[in-house]
Amino acid sequence: MSEALAAYDPAVDAPAHHHPVYDYDSGPPVERGKFAIWLFLATEIMFFSGLIGAYIVLRSAAKSWPDPQERLAVDITAFNTFLLITSSWTMVKAVFAAKAGERGKLLAWLAATIAIGASFVSIQVYEYIQLIHEGAIPKIDIFWSTFYAMTGFHGTHVVVGVIWLSCVWFKALGGGYTVRNNLGVELAGLYWHFVDLVWVLLFTIVYLF
Amino acid sequence: MSQHEHEEHGAMHFSVDKVFIGLFAFTVAEVGWGLAGKHLGFNRPMLWGGLLFFAALKGWLIAVYFMHLKFEGWVVKSLILPTPFLVMIIFGYVMPDVADHEGRLVHPVGSEVDPKTGLVIENMHDGWRPPDAEGHEGASAPEHAAPAAGADAKPAEAQR
Repeated sequence: MSEALAAYDPAVDAPAHHHPVYDYDSGPPVERGKFAIWLFLATEIMFFSGLIGAYIVLRSAAKSWPDPQERLAVDITAFNTFLLITSSWTMVKAVFAAKAGERGKLLAWLAATIAIGASFVSIQVYEYIQLIHEGAIPKIDIFWSTFYAMTGFHGTHVVVGVIWLSCVWFKALGGGYTVRNNLGVELAGLYWHFVDLVWVLLFTIVYLF
Repeated sequence: MSQHEHEEHGAMHFSVDKVFIGLFAFTVAEVGWGLAGKHLGFNRPMLWGGLLFFAALKGWLIAVYFMHLKFEGWVVKSLILPTPFLVMIIFGYVMPDVADHEGRLVHPVGSEVDPKTGLVIENMHDGWRPPDAEGHEGASAPEHAAPAAGADAKPAEAQR
């Protein structure tokens, strides 16, 4: 008997006589949290597709387009890309540590992921400051407005990810995850990997094309 | 967690370190391809094709292994797999607005097509205006409007 049925109180929860009560879970054959995060990630794919699609259309339709490598610091951003890929690696290690019930390793790998993610954001903010100091602001031309729109929204996602992972870290510190209960780490990891995946595409399209 | 899910996690065999090294190597190769392409003068399809190949390869590694998509059931896969086709629909509907059937651009960004004459107005300040309060139509294309880009300056409607 499921937990929902165990907590069933006929005095409170009694359905109308024509409503059947099922002795099985009618949800999808996957954890609800995982179903939700994948559904959310599907919407995020469409969100970033809209941004990238607008960029491609505007760039295709523009009379001319500057060479991104002449305007942007590709070397620094390539290093930043390595950072984000590394953070995905540490995140996988954290998820595996959580599944193995190794709390110390979980905390260490999570801390590494958070630190690397914060470093990525810091370098991006440094890049923005440098560009703005040089007068490269969104209203200058369509190149800069699309650049700031895409990298800005992605950077916001990284910040959200760092905050989310920090919450997971504090919960792990309090012993909130066990061998049987570690879905929270996995869900945060899925979001983090998605942010990494989006950056892989953005780096190629914005900086190298 | 059910026994079935335990077995699924147990079957999740892959080397995290090898995937990471692969991502690292492909990023080096991608940056190298991009820089070499600019300096050695690769043509655009070669440069962009190589970059997209490396980006797709890295994205595939992250999605399939780091996000465990390879080990998920049909429910999760059915949530994600339709999205590339939806993206294609977005591009498919938007691109005809900026390019004609031969791939040439109809008109550049920042211009508009006069609905009466079909001529391209390079400066949008000279183009469409809202009708006035008395119901008269807005201003039409000025005399200096440029014809539509392409071999022949057909009206926009005729080109579609």
